[in-house]
Amino acid sequence: MVRHEVVVVGAGLAGQRAALAAVEAGRDVALVSKLHPLRSHSGAAQGGINAAIGAEDSVDTHIYDTVKGSDYLGDQDAIEYFCREAGPTVVEMEHFGTIFNRAPDGTLARRPFGGAGFPRTIYAADRTGLALLQALYERLGTERLTVYEEWDLTSIVVREGRTQGIVAFDRKTGEFAGLTAPSVVIATGPAGRVYGRTTNAHSCTGDGIAAAYRAGAFLKDMEFVQFHPTALLESGILITEGARGEGGLLKNGTGERFMARYAPHVLELASRDVVSRAIVTEVLEGRGFPGGYVHLELMHLGRERIESRLQEICDFSRTYAGVDPVTEPIPVFPAQHYMMGGVGTDIHGATNVPGLFAAGEAACVSIHGANRLGGNSLLETLVFGKAAGAAAAAHAAGAAGVSITPADIDAERSRLAAMTARVEGEDPQQIRTAIQATMDELVGIYRRPEELTEALRRLATLRERYGRVRITDRSRVYNLHLTDALETGHLLDLAEVIVAGALARTESRGAHTRRDYPKRDDAQWMKHTLAQATPTGPALSYAPVAFTRWEPKERVY
Amino acid sequence: MAASMRVPFDVYRFDPATDAAPRYQRYELDLAPHTPILTALLRIRSELDPTLTLRYSCRSAICGSCAMVVNSKSRLACETPVGPEFERHGRIVVDPMRNQPVLRDLVVETAPFWRQYRKIEPHLKPDPHHPLPVGRESPMTPEQVDRFRETPRCIACAACYSACPAVEADAGFPGPMALAKLYRFVVDPRDGATAQRLATIQPNGLWLCLRCHLCSEACPKDVDPSERIRDLKEMAIGIAGASEAGSRHAEGFKDNIRATGLLNEMRLVRQTSGLLGLAAQAPQGLRLAGKKPEVLRAPKKIEGHDEVEKLYELLDDQPPREGA
Repeated sequence: MVRHEVVVVGAGLAGQRAALAAVEAGRDVALVSKLHPLRSHSGAAQGGINAAIGAEDSVDTHIYDTVKGSDYLGDQDAIEYFCREAGPTVVEMEHFGTIFNRAPDGTLARRPFGGAGFPRTIYAADRTGLALLQALYERLGTERLTVYEEWDLTSIVVREGRTQGIVAFDRKTGEFAGLTAPSVVIATGPAGRVYGRTTNAHSCTGDGIAAAYRAGAFLKDMEFVQFHPTALLESGILITEGARGEGGLLKNGTGERFMARYAPHVLELASRDVVSRAIVTEVLEGRGFPGGYVHLELMHLGRERIESRLQEICDFSRTYAGVDPVTEPIPVFPAQHYMMGGVGTDIHGATNVPGLFAAGEAACVSIHGANRLGGNSLLETLVFGKAAGAAAAAHAAGAAGVSITPADIDAERSRLAAMTARVEGEDPQQIRTAIQATMDELVGIYRRPEELTEALRRLATLRERYGRVRITDRSRVYNLHLTDALETGHLLDLAEVIVAGALARTESRGAHTRRDYPKRDDAQWMKHTLAQATPTGPALSYAPVAFTRWEPKERVY
Repeated sequence: MAASMRVPFDVYRFDPATDAAPRYQRYELDLAPHTPILTALLRIRSELDPTLTLRYSCRSAICGSCAMVVNSKSRLACETPVGPEFERHGRIVVDPMRNQPVLRDLVVETAPFWRQYRKIEPHLKPDPHHPLPVGRESPMTPEQVDRFRETPRCIACAACYSACPAVEADAGFPGPMALAKLYRFVVDPRDGATAQRLATIQPNGLWLCLRCHLCSEACPKDVDPSERIRDLKEMAIGIAGASEAGSRHAEGFKDNIRATGLLNEMRLVRQTSGLLGLAAQAPQGLRLAGKKPEVLRAPKKIEGHDEVEKLYELLDDQPPREGA
């Protein structure tokens, strides 16, 4: 059995940063990912990374904006740590080689972002995630570690109350293997593909979140799903908040700049949940364009500014919507974008399972509470990736006697072999599509109890169908149908947790909006949802929110 | 919404575990013209044949997974619409990327591509005598950021590597992506290893580029590797000296034309490869001389040579190109 001290699953920004921290602590580190690290979805982040480094800005303002943005569900001790680490983190990434945009005086340029008191978002054109991912990968490339590229995680093994390692298979050969390690860090990103209309990559199927859930970890606040206000109409491809930060305007079918009615002070730069609800409301009340969308206008910014600062989204709009933002408005509508929830962790990335850590979008510390501010997620991957990597390294230093056994590997191999052996059964891709249709239709921005109940019913039916899932591809080499089956199983588990949490939470907070409970209810619901896997589905319990200096107030923009 | 049309796809299929040889498989789908090829291939997987194998992830031209050859051109499947391809070719032929062995169907072994990338030592090497400032960002003006040109946009999709005939001819050639990445580090004001980088890339490196521009045509992100390689050549001559055959050839060419307006082939070979090189190439030279005896004679100055000299003087007065 292959043995490492720290196994990091997922090689985006959080995973790579965790791996770097663990290597720097002197551990034997494995980095496992189903994609080449540079193909990770972190690279798709466009707008920027927050750090209160401007003379007029302050760490306290960043903390306050994040607390308020979270609709007071973020843990304030974690948010304080997070915002204090922001400046050093950005400087470190600059020193690793990140090519950020610069102000004329040679310092880091900053742009305004939604929900922020000052221009606080440091950026690299509209490809900040790519710029950071390149620099971190280049830095990590100078270190010694084992990279398992294009390996699919099938399970995390926990025995005797502690983590033993993982079972995974190599796509290129179809071989299953166990990687023994006393510390495992989950950094596999989100499960945005539970929705059909999403800005997330096809690979965002929550593999690590689902594996951690099955291994006994609590999932936290999964009902809080962020819908990005501006995604391209048909494809759901993201148009960065930076487009509004640069001065982009939202207009409805009558040509009205409707945000004036929803957020009179900051208009288009209100936080994402507010803008997304506004767009949906405009369309529902008949003020959208035929087909159900609104316009994002950039034309008044001029060709030079649009093409220099919003280069990628110009390409996206031209390629995927047939629209030139220099001369025409972009048709947009919200799409699933981010999961505030994830594997529950403390400030060091530790879960309730000894030896199991999580970081990045797969984790929920919680920094973002009920709603994430733009520019905070890239920062989270790096700050908590580093923290989790360091904590995993420390844990591994004192641990011994863990192992993945041949039986652990056989169990996974036969679970999947059974799907290949079936003579008839269900195509995992069709089940996946049905999960996505269910979530799009019934678990969107506005939620109703009868729709959530119906969603649970449909998911139960899909679980039955998943019991008959059949892999028809017989090849051992790069068998994507096997990956489809695995990923669909993950999505199914996580969709259930999202809906169960949403049905139970009888209030509206941040991104979770109940038609029947339109107000925030601090007396009942100022608490985190925890979901634990049981044979009959998720069991919910609740945990308190950490407060330090900021008392809950009504959230107005 | 434009009307949909019946589009035939001929897709390269090969599973080394079971197939003796590759074949093309025909699939047909009804598609709107603006449908990206990737969307069509994923529909083939979900509606017709789940065994079709390809790499894909973001579907928005930023992860670099889905580079493949569509109707003979290396490109990203996710940002290539079916309509124009179908109109021009009547069908859509999809092949795996070139210059990399096929693992299965449209999935290729990318290890050689990444090996070339690692060979250029793609990480910042600050000058130990001028360390980066402690606790704050390194200063960099917007003009210095502009010197990176479009190289930070590279998504390492390998479309350029697939399109490059120099890679096909010589697997030791780093390829367009690695060289564009080298350029990115060479122009970085924080990097202290410019001279070393240019010196080590010369053998088997820069000068194998044919300047055919196929990489720049293939690049989905306008990185323009061809022009960045040209910039590197210019810098290599300036910094590392005429120490390598490729750069000596370029210098010799320039001197020759300036001297007479014509190439002195004997002299050029000597300048490029030295006396031993000249001897080594003698058999080929003599064969050539049998057909074209004039190559052995030193050319006389052409008529109007003063015009050539004027051109050179004009070029001498030009400031060095930005980036060089």
